[in-house]
Amino acid sequence: MRRALQRHLKLAHLGPRRRAAAGCAGLLALAVAIAGCGLSTARANGRIPVQGGTASYALPPNQQPVYIFPFDSSSYFSVVNTDYFQYLMYRPLYWFGASGLPYLNPSLSLASQPAYRGQTVTIKLKPYRWSDGEQLTADDVVFWMHMMQAVAASDWGGYVPGGFPDNVASVKAVGQDEVQMVIKGVFSHQWFTYNELSQITPMPLAWDRTAHGKSDCVANVSDCAAVYSYLNSIAQSPATWARSRIWRVVDGPWRLASYTSQGVITFDYNPDYSGPAGKYHISVFQERPFTSEEAEFNVLEAGGSDGLDVGYMPTVDAPVPPPDAAVGQNPPGLSGYRLTALYVWGLSYFPYNFGPADPQRAVIGQLYVRKALQLLENQAAIIQGPLHGYGQVTTGVVGGYPTVAKYLSPLALKGDPYPYDPAQATALLTGHGWKLVGGVMTCTDPGSGPTQCGAGIHAGTKLDLTMYYATGSAWLESAVLQLKSNAEQIGIAITLIPRAFQDVINEVTGVACGAPGCPWELADWGLGWSYSPDYLPTGDELFLSHAAANFGQYLNPTNDGLIQATLRTSSSRAMWKWENYLTGQLPVGLQPNSVTQLIETVDTLRIGKQSPTLSINPEQWYFVR
Amino acid sequence: MVTYLVRRLLQAVIVLALVSMLVFGLLWLLPGGPRHALLGGAPAGSAGAAALGRDYGIGSPVVLGYARWIAAVLHGNLGYSYVENASVGSLLAASLPRTLALTVTAAGIAACAAIPAGLLQALRRGSVTDQLGRALMYAGYGIPSFFLGSVLIATFAVRLHWLGAEGPQAPGIAGVLADWRDLTLPVLTLAVLTLAIFARYVRAAATDSLAQDYVRTARAVGARPGRVLGSHVLRNSMIPVITLAGLSIPRILAGALVVESLFNIQGMGWQLWQAALQRDFPVLLGFILVIAAGAVIGSLLADIGYAIADPRVRLRPW
Repeated sequence: MRRALQRHLKLAHLGPRRRAAAGCAGLLALAVAIAGCGLSTARANGRIPVQGGTASYALPPNQQPVYIFPFDSSSYFSVVNTDYFQYLMYRPLYWFGASGLPYLNPSLSLASQPAYRGQTVTIKLKPYRWSDGEQLTADDVVFWMHMMQAVAASDWGGYVPGGFPDNVASVKAVGQDEVQMVIKGVFSHQWFTYNELSQITPMPLAWDRTAHGKSDCVANVSDCAAVYSYLNSIAQSPATWARSRIWRVVDGPWRLASYTSQGVITFDYNPDYSGPAGKYHISVFQERPFTSEEAEFNVLEAGGSDGLDVGYMPTVDAPVPPPDAAVGQNPPGLSGYRLTALYVWGLSYFPYNFGPADPQRAVIGQLYVRKALQLLENQAAIIQGPLHGYGQVTTGVVGGYPTVAKYLSPLALKGDPYPYDPAQATALLTGHGWKLVGGVMTCTDPGSGPTQCGAGIHAGTKLDLTMYYATGSAWLESAVLQLKSNAEQIGIAITLIPRAFQDVINEVTGVACGAPGCPWELADWGLGWSYSPDYLPTGDELFLSHAAANFGQYLNPTNDGLIQATLRTSSSRAMWKWENYLTGQLPVGLQPNSVTQLIETVDTLRIGKQSPTLSINPEQWYFVR
Repeated sequence: MVTYLVRRLLQAVIVLALVSMLVFGLLWLLPGGPRHALLGGAPAGSAGAAALGRDYGIGSPVVLGYARWIAAVLHGNLGYSYVENASVGSLLAASLPRTLALTVTAAGIAACAAIPAGLLQALRRGSVTDQLGRALMYAGYGIPSFFLGSVLIATFAVRLHWLGAEGPQAPGIAGVLADWRDLTLPVLTLAVLTLAIFARYVRAAATDSLAQDYVRTARAVGARPGRVLGSHVLRNSMIPVITLAGLSIPRILAGALVVESLFNIQGMGWQLWQAALQRDFPVLLGFILVIAAGAVIGSLLADIGYAIADPRVRLRPW
């Protein structure tokens, strides 16, 4: 989904990500284990859970929620707006993230798992209630769907032409708690649930209105544009949100209590919440904005009454983890906190430009060149160096971490298929008609034979590439410099062009240049792609020919066929077949999955295992004494 | 005096108009044009795009667009940020008090300390006091604010827990000023640099004044040292300080980016920097216009200050 890119846009400065604490050593392991366990463990360790209390939570640097209406246009489609804000109050129909894995979480979903019969999907709602006393009904789902049908193309950030809701022929309530949809086309049930139904957030009927009074978007799609316009307009005054009669109608566990001009957001527990919550839980959840990682870390270290209960450590300050441990030991100044590492569910990559604007497209189009470049990407060194040990090797075109065996082929599970090997990279080039001339690999044997440079590459062509990369991320700057250095050692010249994050995105999406795109060969904005709300990594958005997020304009009919197969069946084998094929084709460069956040949690707070989808559940957090 | 002020105000209006034309015109020169610059990747049919067309005259010729925008500005509408989902005016209203409280307090403290320090150094020129003062001023001038701030935080907030590690988070100038515990470290960090600059100028000006004939004459006719210092030396030494104060108004408005970032203060400098990073052009336009106005007003105030400090300065229209 386009939203996934937006997540990255907003998460760019988060830096880092995580992995389960398998095999932690000593006290740290004990602390991490306690963090991941329930009440029984807390009691077993002599800590008594307490009801209530206020937990303060540090928002990522330079980010704070700016939009409350859970129908985000592309401008507002971000983790901070959705996961850290809207989802606390307005629950999506299906919740993803369970036990640290990006799976559907049935217990936190508003509906039972959808039932598929032919082209018909039936969704049975659970008995949830809105805070105004109304029951959550099928009409609330239809309300959302009609809104999608009316304005998704212009105002829904996750909209993909031909995707949701274009692939839905009809939607209707067939009872108070049952919705039926008729789908166009044939899709696997898992794909439709994970990548399409995952976008729905039911809306209360109290929102079905305009400035002039009640409306009827639930019954008439034609009324929905005006309703959207009204809700969008009242979503534009953060100072009024906490008092708004519209936004105070929630079905989630939290209700907005205040939003100060400094950006401090306070939520009160919703006493009418009808979903599952722990016997013990905090009663107030406070989010605090920060201007920089350093400012947040200073506050974390200073502690005291203004301190944080849940914060994060900048990667540059992170203690290197010992072998086989997920995290290192906290410095003495943070002895009252537990350190855990969180990795987003996504694919870390940098695209190659196969588009017509790329002057080196003939070179980039050669698989042996891309393999040579991948052999020069030293993922292990990047993880041990600039990432301080907080990274995971990306082993293929499906995100490798958290490890989901259902999605990852046995080949991908084996590890890096292209470990650092400059000798092999050199052999690939010299075996295809390239020679060092003046220190730069130059094509001396043009032609399309098996030992020649390849079609479209003329004699004298130099292996000289341009790479855009996003500034502001220390590890990324080190990583691209390392790639440049490694490449130069065997005669590949890479000209690095540092740009602001948004400018790199503009380059790869072609916005900065207009059709037919910009003249880059490689571009790296740091994180690649996170799968949300497209939780199933089928590749149809990233690698299908002409897909919206196929930034490198990679075209491959064989790949298209294999991707289509993954959309029609829930079989892992179809996924693995596509994955193995495309990893062998390297349409993008694979780079380490960097830690998303190094979470510091105060010893007296239990927050459980955090989700790689980046959603948070403070209604399950509790203090101990 | 009145004629002078009126003419200077008219001059200021012309300068502001030129600045506004320049910054607005730059939008049309940006890659992708003004629509892309202002809205980023938002679809053309979105509600935001429609509002944008109204506010900035997108789709109209640049002259009409400017006319529409400047008319809105004159009616108090500085535009709307689609990144922040807030009016530029509200962002300004939220960030300006924090920045003013921080920078004006720091400048005030620095000036109050710099004038006696500079005078003392000038009076004891070449002495140990002067040498020590100069060394301290050079150190204050040379030390990067992020380093000084980090050291202060590590010492007084993290280790001793005497003061807060972040700036005041209360709304409004009064709320910020009342939170002295959190205000102290960011003000101190900023004040050290300002103090060093001011004191050096005061010392140099006072040293010059002390060597002037009128000071020697005043002493020769038996004027008391206090009168010589107050009426002859100090008054003439204030000229460079007035210049610095006038020129520092845009800096005060633009905020102190590094200090604001380090101390978690969402002031104007930080807001402006974020807008630049996120290509939030409505915010950039609005804030730059306000800072430009500050620069013009600062220059005007400095001119008036010269006349008050030194009657020999004649206020000539141009």
